[in-house]
Amino acid sequence: MLELRRASNLDLGAGTPIHGGTEVVPQLRSGLLRTDTLVDVRSIVPRGVASDRIGAGATLREIEQSGEVPEALRDACRLAASPQLRAMGSLGGNLLQSTRCWYWRLNWPCRLHGGDECFAQAGEHGEHAIFANDYCASAHPSDVAAALVALDATLRTERRELELVDLFRVPTEDDRRATTLEEGELMLDVSLPPVEKSVYLKAMDRKRWAFPIVGVAGARIQGEIRIALAGVAPMPWLLEDGLDTATPLPRNAYKVELAAALVKRARAALA
Amino acid sequence: MARLIRTEKEVEGRYEEVWIVVEEDALEQWPAGPRRIVGQPAARIDGRERATGQAVYTADLALPGMLHTAVLRSPHPRARVTHLDLAPALALPGVHAAIGPGDIPQLVDECNYQGVAVAAVCADTLAEARAAVRAIDARFDVLEPLLDPDEAVARGHLLAEPRVRSRGDVERGFADADVVVEAEFRTQVVLHNSLETHQAIVEWVGDGVDVNISTQYIWGIRDGVAEGLGLPPDKVRVVCHYMGGGFGSKNSPDDYTFIAAELARRTQRAVKCALTRREEHTAAGNRNATIQRLRIGARSDGTLTAMSGEFVNAVGWGGWSSSTEGPMQMLYACPNVSTTTHGAKLNLPPMKAFRAPGFVEGTFGLEALLDELAAKLDIDPLELRRLNHADQDEVEGRAYSGKNLLECYRRAEAHWNRRHEVRSRSTDVVKRGVGMASQIWYGGGGPPSYAWVRVGSDGRAAVVTAMQDIGTGTRTAMAQIAAEELGIPLDHVTVSLGDSARGPYAAISAGSSTTPSMGPAVRAAAADARRQIDEIAEQRGTPDAPLAEIVALLEDAQILGKGARGPNPTGMQVLTFGVQVVEVAVDVETGEVTVERVAAVHDVGRVINPLGASSQIEGGIIQGIGHTLSEERLHDRVTGRLLTTTLESYRMPTIADVPEIVSELVDEPDPHLTNLGSKGLGEPPIVPIAAAIANAIRDATGADVRRLPISREEMLRALREAAAREKERVGAPARV
Repeated sequence: MLELRRASNLDLGAGTPIHGGTEVVPQLRSGLLRTDTLVDVRSIVPRGVASDRIGAGATLREIEQSGEVPEALRDACRLAASPQLRAMGSLGGNLLQSTRCWYWRLNWPCRLHGGDECFAQAGEHGEHAIFANDYCASAHPSDVAAALVALDATLRTERRELELVDLFRVPTEDDRRATTLEEGELMLDVSLPPVEKSVYLKAMDRKRWAFPIVGVAGARIQGEIRIALAGVAPMPWLLEDGLDTATPLPRNAYKVELAAALVKRARAALA
Repeated sequence: MARLIRTEKEVEGRYEEVWIVVEEDALEQWPAGPRRIVGQPAARIDGRERATGQAVYTADLALPGMLHTAVLRSPHPRARVTHLDLAPALALPGVHAAIGPGDIPQLVDECNYQGVAVAAVCADTLAEARAAVRAIDARFDVLEPLLDPDEAVARGHLLAEPRVRSRGDVERGFADADVVVEAEFRTQVVLHNSLETHQAIVEWVGDGVDVNISTQYIWGIRDGVAEGLGLPPDKVRVVCHYMGGGFGSKNSPDDYTFIAAELARRTQRAVKCALTRREEHTAAGNRNATIQRLRIGARSDGTLTAMSGEFVNAVGWGGWSSSTEGPMQMLYACPNVSTTTHGAKLNLPPMKAFRAPGFVEGTFGLEALLDELAAKLDIDPLELRRLNHADQDEVEGRAYSGKNLLECYRRAEAHWNRRHEVRSRSTDVVKRGVGMASQIWYGGGGPPSYAWVRVGSDGRAAVVTAMQDIGTGTRTAMAQIAAEELGIPLDHVTVSLGDSARGPYAAISAGSSTTPSMGPAVRAAAADARRQIDEIAEQRGTPDAPLAEIVALLEDAQILGKGARGPNPTGMQVLTFGVQVVEVAVDVETGEVTVERVAAVHDVGRVINPLGASSQIEGGIIQGIGHTLSEERLHDRVTGRLLTTTLESYRMPTIADVPEIVSELVDEPDPHLTNLGSKGLGEPPIVPIAAAIANAIRDATGADVRRLPISREEMLRALREAAAREKERVGAPARV
């Protein structure tokens, strides 16, 4: 039996937060997420959209349709999912979505599920990570996360502020988690510095409604260029050392070539 | 008059010799060209029901007391069930019955592919049934699967003996060639993805069963269920009024029907067994992968001298090894052709027929390699195809009943001539090009098939036949044919179909055969009714009176016409033909391929409904674009377990992937084929699209793609290879 509770204040209590449900419901149905209680957080998470601050409860559609947010974020939303999913899915939920690694989604006993093997490394990894893939080769799927990392966003929760990039982590043997969010911690909003120019470019398997093979977000902030990639590492990947340090697997080296082409374009667009 | 004949029966390119009783087909064909109703675009007569949700599909049916089923399927490609205890499932609330290996042949404990059914439970609700299946205590001894098709061939692990087809002297043909091209092509596994998943509801009524099922073949289900249950066929009633897609995968009853039948027998309730979307991606059939090692030789003037191919169909554990070599054997005039086709038996889910099985895959390899030849010979690809046009069937020396491929080529010129303008719109990064490919396939249908027509005093007619409309619009086409023949408005005709208890035998809806099999029977039935009405008019002394005036005299009397599908022309090859011209844009830095325009010109004899025909062409092309660019069912290379079991990981095209589609039909009745001269159009449009896209890519970029789908990986690989070739060519020292 599954209980659905409506949260009335920021103290969530026990249970799994649910907002748009576009990730939580499929995970429940596939047995990836087990819980007795869902906590509907829609009435307590801010959802306003402004140029410098965006509520974690804003839907992707609201962000996509806002004229105020930087282009990289708008395009990351516009190129994500389908119109139906964007109308439901929230910014916060999008950042917290799990990898689309098929082994993980099919509940193989992989390292992220507590096992002792990454099945993608010896198996089918055409869509998998080309950075930080020696422990777990999963690729982080969020276009929006890459855009916000490039935009140097700051995340505010009900208990702290952190650089958005620090929300994410590469899983290790000792700590298999993919985010640093604590139990019961609730994301409230992200704030953005003034951005001079930004861009999001995405390569996918079809024209719409697909996760990125490679997504490249770029932003110019106080003259500095920041580039972040989606779909290339177990977390949104801030590109600091270029693509030469990539460690592709036998069947995903094409992603390096693809990323290089998109990074070149992003840099050109920011010039 | 009924006549007993021995004839070849063809479905999906497979022939068998059968004795059949046919009726003579005495009617003259109508003159070529659109008529009052036939040949005019008609909106679907059931379009409103379908669009508003009024149409009741099998998936919509909820019979009183109906139980729901969940199936335990093997999660392993090869395993033995070492322990199976159904008791924990039976103990759960709502559960009525559970069955396992030994109860029916469809449930097994030797599992040779992932998805094979092991046990099944029925319960009041689907959730209860699923919970019960999870509670079954099943243990598997997992065994090493055979996954590599080449290895299977080397080990002789085949579904049947290799199929060797040869004519002429191929070695000599290659020796006579000025240019020889060869390449290896690979195509992937793709899934039908019917919107309505495979499902049946079975209920025992008296000493027989009622089967509501989503199917392409009502009468095949009747016979298959009767055989499986040991019942006389007439004790099996099969119903399918509306159907949500099959594409070749719903021709037989399959495990879910027999599971429902057994559970219905045990519970004495109606039992539904419906595949989930994940089961649909596992256990509903697929288009098997292929490996094609091809060689073509030609003289410098373009004349083909020899073709050879080694084809490996990676069939899976069951199904059949389809005619991947068919296009190489049949499409062109070439005296020396030799092909060998292997059907590799693997621990992977069985293939099922999928919209022109074999020819879709084989046309990709053949037509892509033919364009490589054209490039080497520096001959225009359209010209090369014209030059090697087959004037008669080369395989058995038979005449074609009708062939207008040259006319298709002529009409394609306007689209082909756009290539200079298309190429000129290329930039440094986005290259544009145009490619073409020819289409050959079956689609003639055949006997037996029957229809009745009933005309009442209100001047309205009902066509009654136990055929199925699988979503292609044949219900509308049959109404058009009857209205045309009777001389009444289209909206005065209703079509009653979809129930084996309410109408005569009708052919399978596979192999592009519904219209060519059923249409002539419907016309014959309408003509029989019309003849009787004319006789009454004659007796009344008003031979030219309108139908409405004559039948108004009937009161409760009715005119009953019956009609049968006559034989196919003896000793002739009945085929469909066509050509497609594709425009693409390729981003040479990211490998993104965009299909911008497809012009499809097909020759399928007389067109009954041009609107329905263009829908079929569009559907085939869209499904083919998915096959060419994005769809792939993947399995783990170590364990063989399937990875793409959801619509998120298995990527069908979206509306944003659909190009401009221009469809044209030659609309020339096949003079030898039935009283209509019509062939089917379900499959032809999907046959040439992959090769036409590949050829357009070569035209745009110089890159040879050899593998489907043309993913970013494959496109970037082909571009790198082309760049290396170019560098070698430019950088090589001049030959002395």
